[in-house]
Amino acid sequence: MNFDEIKSVIVSSAEKNGVAEYEIFYTENESLSAETVKNEISSFSSEHTASVNFRCTVGGKMGYAYTELLEPEELAGLVTRAADNAAVTECEDEVEIFRGSDEYLPADMPEPSLPDAASVREIALKLQEKTYSLSDKVSDGTQSAAGSGIIATRMYNSYGLDLSERYGVDYAYSEAVVRDGEDTAYSFRGGNGRSYDELSYNSEKAVEEALSRLGAVPAETGSYPVIISANTMRGILATFSSVFSAQNAQKGLSLLAGKEGQKIASDIITIADDPFREGSVKTAFDGEGVATRTKNVIEKGVLTTLLHNLSSGKKAGVPSTGNGNHSNGIRFHNFYILPGKNTLEELLKAADGGIYVTEVKGLHAGADATTGDFSVESAGHMIENGKIGRPVKSFTIAGNFFTLLKDISALSDTVDFGVVTSATAFGSPDIFIPSISVAGK
Amino acid sequence: MLSKALCSEILARAMSSGADFAELYQELTHNNVIQLISGKIEKIGDNVLSGVGVRAFVGTKTVYAYTCDLSREGLLRCASGVADTVAQSKNDVSIRLTERIFPNINPVRRLPGDVDVKERISVLKEACFAAKNYDSRISQVAGNLISVDHNILVANSEGLYSADRNVRTRLAISAIASDGNENQSGYNGPGRSMGMEMFETISPAETGIEASRQAIVNLEAEYCPAGQMTVAIANGFGGVIFHEACGHSLEATSVGIGASQMCGKLGQKIAGDKVTAIDDGTIPGAWGSINMDDEGHPAQKNILIENGVLKSYMVDRLGSRRMGLPCTGSGRRQGYTFEPTSRMTNTYIANGPDKNEDIIASIEYGLYAAHMGGGSVNPVTGAFNFAVSEGYIVRNGKICEPVRGASLIGTGSRILMDIDMVGQDLELGQGMCGSSSGSIPTNVGQPLIRVSNITVGGRNQ
Repeated sequence: MNFDEIKSVIVSSAEKNGVAEYEIFYTENESLSAETVKNEISSFSSEHTASVNFRCTVGGKMGYAYTELLEPEELAGLVTRAADNAAVTECEDEVEIFRGSDEYLPADMPEPSLPDAASVREIALKLQEKTYSLSDKVSDGTQSAAGSGIIATRMYNSYGLDLSERYGVDYAYSEAVVRDGEDTAYSFRGGNGRSYDELSYNSEKAVEEALSRLGAVPAETGSYPVIISANTMRGILATFSSVFSAQNAQKGLSLLAGKEGQKIASDIITIADDPFREGSVKTAFDGEGVATRTKNVIEKGVLTTLLHNLSSGKKAGVPSTGNGNHSNGIRFHNFYILPGKNTLEELLKAADGGIYVTEVKGLHAGADATTGDFSVESAGHMIENGKIGRPVKSFTIAGNFFTLLKDISALSDTVDFGVVTSATAFGSPDIFIPSISVAGK
Repeated sequence: MLSKALCSEILARAMSSGADFAELYQELTHNNVIQLISGKIEKIGDNVLSGVGVRAFVGTKTVYAYTCDLSREGLLRCASGVADTVAQSKNDVSIRLTERIFPNINPVRRLPGDVDVKERISVLKEACFAAKNYDSRISQVAGNLISVDHNILVANSEGLYSADRNVRTRLAISAIASDGNENQSGYNGPGRSMGMEMFETISPAETGIEASRQAIVNLEAEYCPAGQMTVAIANGFGGVIFHEACGHSLEATSVGIGASQMCGKLGQKIAGDKVTAIDDGTIPGAWGSINMDDEGHPAQKNILIENGVLKSYMVDRLGSRRMGLPCTGSGRRQGYTFEPTSRMTNTYIANGPDKNEDIIASIEYGLYAAHMGGGSVNPVTGAFNFAVSEGYIVRNGKICEPVRGASLIGTGSRILMDIDMVGQDLELGQGMCGSSSGSIPTNVGQPLIRVSNITVGGRNQ
């Protein structure tokens, strides 16, 4: 069924069941991806999926239902399921089906297209070949992958608001495993692009980093000045991003509740949420149909706003910040720490005798967004004579995210967003912390 | 579910360009999540997942395509896409499918969909209110009652046509304790491959109280000291240590491509003498149990390690081809959007020879990890980490003050050898395990064990 057929079934079911206020959020994905093992394609997959999120208000409560089974009977039942769910909901937050923003800025994303399957496979194979060619220490377990996808969204509601958007993403990963005798090291790099020339850089970085990790020894327990690499800090920011949700704050799940206008980070920290950032996916409307806009969530250390959807905005007496999703949550756009003035080399000089942390593992378990505490397995390099020195591994860095924000004393001038595969992406520069707890040998 | 005739046609199409094996997987899942926060029903999540995946093999290469278009044309288009990619040689095949019914090891008495939503809400409220009333410092309680009705069909070119249904229920409670300045959290989330009859044996109120008890212990705890220590890890979810430190490295996913620290170690001593580890998908009603795996093999009980010696890997169909070993009922996936790979089911360290009191008494100074959070591992290097969600210092053989914020890190090969005492109170704990084939329910488990030496990450120096 195409969108118009889906819409027509839902609209008539809503009419029949006396549901007056409702919204349809339709998503369609098409993608191709290839993976390699040794010198051949080990797996190739293609996807075509579509789904409908439906929500409606009944007696001032919002009910939700979702389906991937796009058949008339199921779609008609979607309306009654959502209405039944609304009937038992008790949440007292005011809800709203949106009538539309005055103005939507153009997202200006190019019309996407999928490459042919053969060229996706070729990129994965060439990256794999490149990775193996860079060192004779590159070993089994090394993998490369490439893929492309198109994501289309369409929303329609009972007030006639009708919005649509399409974008494409192209990406590749290089994963290098290197062996030297009994010693094994590993690195994983990804990037966006459709041509081999744009992507081969990842193979080089992965092999270079994996080789630099050979011979790593556990770090000694103690307190150290630490530089957390941009790529690593990006993951930490993503893990703790939920503390910036106004919804979480209102429910007592974020320690940033009521801190708007207060200093919560060091002066050099500005964090932006930018739905129109060049080089990322750009989106003009959020999951509730509200026009998106760019804002600084932290400005020079001061918390200016939390991220709101329609419902949390009403509760706080402010408009939505354009960060709603279609299932009553908060959607982040391109959320990142703005770069500083120093080069990484300058940071390394300042952190002499410390540790350059280039990898943390297990953030899903070792970090708690409710408390801000983290204690995570890490790997990296000692900083010797102001330069990247011998590799270290098997240590943890431990601290608290809220304290970390205040302790950051310098930022590098380059922001890393990793691989962008959706409209939500997190970015950070390298950060310098004068002292952090390290547990190792 | 799709008919035998249509499945035969799709499989034949997928093999039409020279694939030597084809498989079809259909999924129809209804997920229902009742969410409660601040004492009120916040939202009901109500999701129907539906689609078909078609996979073909040429030796050890696979091609996979999936679609949510269930029309005959849509499915044949999907299969043609697979054949176009395989593109070896023209091959006219006809496939005869025979229905096979697997014994149901998880019979369900009360399907969640048949139980009135009011009764399901009252179970969740009982748990959340008990958690909230546990202590005045409990500032927030969030609870989810998760019901999953997962229906699958597997058909393949060897003639298999088999449908299965897995119903799961889970009650997950998070409690936050606050003293005004800081928050600490506690969590408890029992789950079973059962319907609502799960609550005949599991008390919702006790489930909630346990989450709050942990949060209060953590609120009163000091930061854990860092360094190398002897650690006793409690039963139940403590088994996440084996899951992360060793289980993932025994999956064909990494062993089959030569990427695991456990490659080539069958028959070798890889763990302490007292360690016997088992992956058993056949435990009736258990969270990780399956009647058949997602490739149509019956679930099995696999002895992975016996008295410290490696006996078996966990092998899926692709791994079987790569490694020349039989499948072990380990081919699993979250749903149709993922290709299956080798995964765990209910994986645990079996009871050993030591008395629990002797294990604690043997520790002069160390850590007792009463509850573990999650963790992760790099199967290539075996480096793992996991979080201690409730911990205590052990001094002179006695459990003393609580400590928080600890994590345990090390490498799998090392820690397995360092397990030097194994107790006798085996229990299983429920988790969702994430890997390349998605997020699936698995049990971890063990009795109380002692690890002679492990790095404890913490903050107090």
